Amino acid sequence: MLSFISKKSNSIASNTRNFLRHSTSSQALKPTEEVNSSNNKPKDGRKSYAEFRHIYPEFLPDPKIEFRNSIREKLERSDMIARRTLIDIPEFYVGTIMAVTVSDKHTPGKPLRFVGICIKREGCGLRSTFILRNVVDHQGVEVMYELYDPTIQKIEVLRLEKRLDDELLYLRDSLSEFSTFDSNMEAEILAEGTPVPVNPIKVQLKPRPWLERWERKNLKGVEKIDLPEKFFKRAAELAKPYEKYDLMKQYMGTIPEEEQNEIFAEIQSQLHKLEVTRKKMKRKRTFVKPTKLA
Amino acid sequence: MAFILSNIVSKTCVKSLEDKLLALSISASGTQIRERHIMNPPPRLRNPTWFTKKHRVVHNDEITTDNQEFVKEVVQDKYSNKDESPLLSEIAANAAEWQPTFKRTGVIARKIGIYPIWMKDGTKMTTTLLQVLDNHVIKYYTPEEYENSQPNKTRVMKKKGCLLLGAEGTDPSLLTKEYCGLFKNSGVIPKKFLARFFVSPDAALPPGTPINALHFQVGNFVDVRGKTIDRGFQGVMKRHGFKGMPASHGVTKTHRRGGNIGGGGEKARVWPGTKMPGHMGNRYRVLKGLKIWRINTKYNVLYVSGQNVPGDTNSIVTIYDTILPLRKPSNPVPFPTYLNTDEIHEEDLYDDDVHQFCDPTIEYNET
Repeated sequence: MLSFISKKSNSIASNTRNFLRHSTSSQALKPTEEVNSSNNKPKDGRKSYAEFRHIYPEFLPDPKIEFRNSIREKLERSDMIARRTLIDIPEFYVGTIMAVTVSDKHTPGKPLRFVGICIKREGCGLRSTFILRNVVDHQGVEVMYELYDPTIQKIEVLRLEKRLDDELLYLRDSLSEFSTFDSNMEAEILAEGTPVPVNPIKVQLKPRPWLERWERKNLKGVEKIDLPEKFFKRAAELAKPYEKYDLMKQYMGTIPEEEQNEIFAEIQSQLHKLEVTRKKMKRKRTFVKPTKLA
Repeated sequence: MAFILSNIVSKTCVKSLEDKLLALSISASGTQIRERHIMNPPPRLRNPTWFTKKHRVVHNDEITTDNQEFVKEVVQDKYSNKDESPLLSEIAANAAEWQPTFKRTGVIARKIGIYPIWMKDGTKMTTTLLQVLDNHVIKYYTPEEYENSQPNKTRVMKKKGCLLLGAEGTDPSLLTKEYCGLFKNSGVIPKKFLARFFVSPDAALPPGTPINALHFQVGNFVDVRGKTIDRGFQGVMKRHGFKGMPASHGVTKTHRRGGNIGGGGEKARVWPGTKMPGHMGNRYRVLKGLKIWRINTKYNVLYVSGQNVPGDTNSIVTIYDTILPLRKPSNPVPFPTYLNTDEIHEEDLYDDDVHQFCDPTIEYNET
């Protein structure tokens, strides 16, 4: 969508600026794309607000106008920052392999650690959640965590990457090998400044019956689906290829860029502080584990 | 002579008439009149004294910017003087001591949204955020002064006074003269929203007294009254939660209908109160017994339990001390309202059970 707008001539650039908005779906794959580099780039080499909206999507409020209130959003953000100063909530995306440690009242003294791939991330503010999936003893297991739940002790990113789709719910209907991850996996550390890699893996779906009609979802991370011709015919009938040109729909479903800048300008200094401490921790971690030679 | 006679006759006539009237009035008050009388008198259709036309028609007067500024200046001058506002310390000194039988005033608030909080034991709870607006007392009607617009069906033994509160100051030039006149004696800038609260005479407050979120305390229970979301004309499935009828198996044209609405024989009619389709929402409802978990003193926000406070986000609600007998406060509450403005509070006041977001992560230890 974004690229579509940027191709247009300069005369409508001022009109379309309002529509250059955050979208967790289509833009998630291109975080480094600068929308308006001159205006919204904060000083002293900090991250731009355009980057913030991908790293901290839950700081942006629900775009539904009837649920919005500026004071509530402000209070919510301050609570989120208060929680983030206590535990490190790292940058992660759908497709990232993560480990979450939570304290459970049924196993006092023994926190639970679950490793899995993030198949969905949704919600905004204190209500934001993500789902981890893994296959344990040939049984698919999914756990939904709330990002700001105070029983979460630690969130680790084991492999920071993205996939070709915005949601990986089709892993539920794909072969188990695609959602099996070693629970003793070690964290892979990305070099600083490298863009988040996109994993172009294509998973193979199990034969029907499925939980959803995946042939209608226009999935990129799935190998060719083996179905009779009539399924694809119906999918083509129901497809809405024109929807991506619906500017109004996009406008109603997203937060305007100016408002995003306002929000991130307010919390930018705190987020920057958190990022500095995270970087320090990262350096420490890399230093502690030297690889043995000889 | 004739003149005198006529005068006497007329005088006696008047006298006899007066006597008759007197007798009638005595008989009306003392003895029973055996004739048809109206059991339920028709309601007196009369609005409360503060119910006047609010918004005036704004014409394009083409005022110059200079004059617009002048109007603004006048408004500012008129309402900025602090002399008329009552001395809070004086009110506090004269206030009676709180007793459990006393009824305090409520406040006008805005529902600003819903978000979760966690308890210290790790359980999650959804809270509704109610922002207490800039409440000011506009007028107090003593129990004798206050005349209900609806006739009282039951006699109230303990009479309550009526406190008129306003919230959210606005530009008076957009309002009518009569509406602005309501605020004349209080020295308060005209407010967008008005609400009446019945209070015990001891809890009365002088006009101009501000009321903030600290009127309530963390851990106390409140009732919240609001106007439910207008859902329009709805069927029985949405309006009353009926099950509907099967989608298939030979069912035709009756998937979401209510079905039978009455029996036969003696009951061969539609009984009053039968659940049927109709207008849903847009009426005042009270949600009772909500606990206050947290108070933000900077933005005057109360965090009360529940996500079902009547009304949309950003709608106006009124908050009262609860009437539920087991949840009424046993410890003294700020009476008649919170008046100590010099006291410095932390920004957030929490209930003992609430996990604060700046607290360390919850851990369960073996015992």
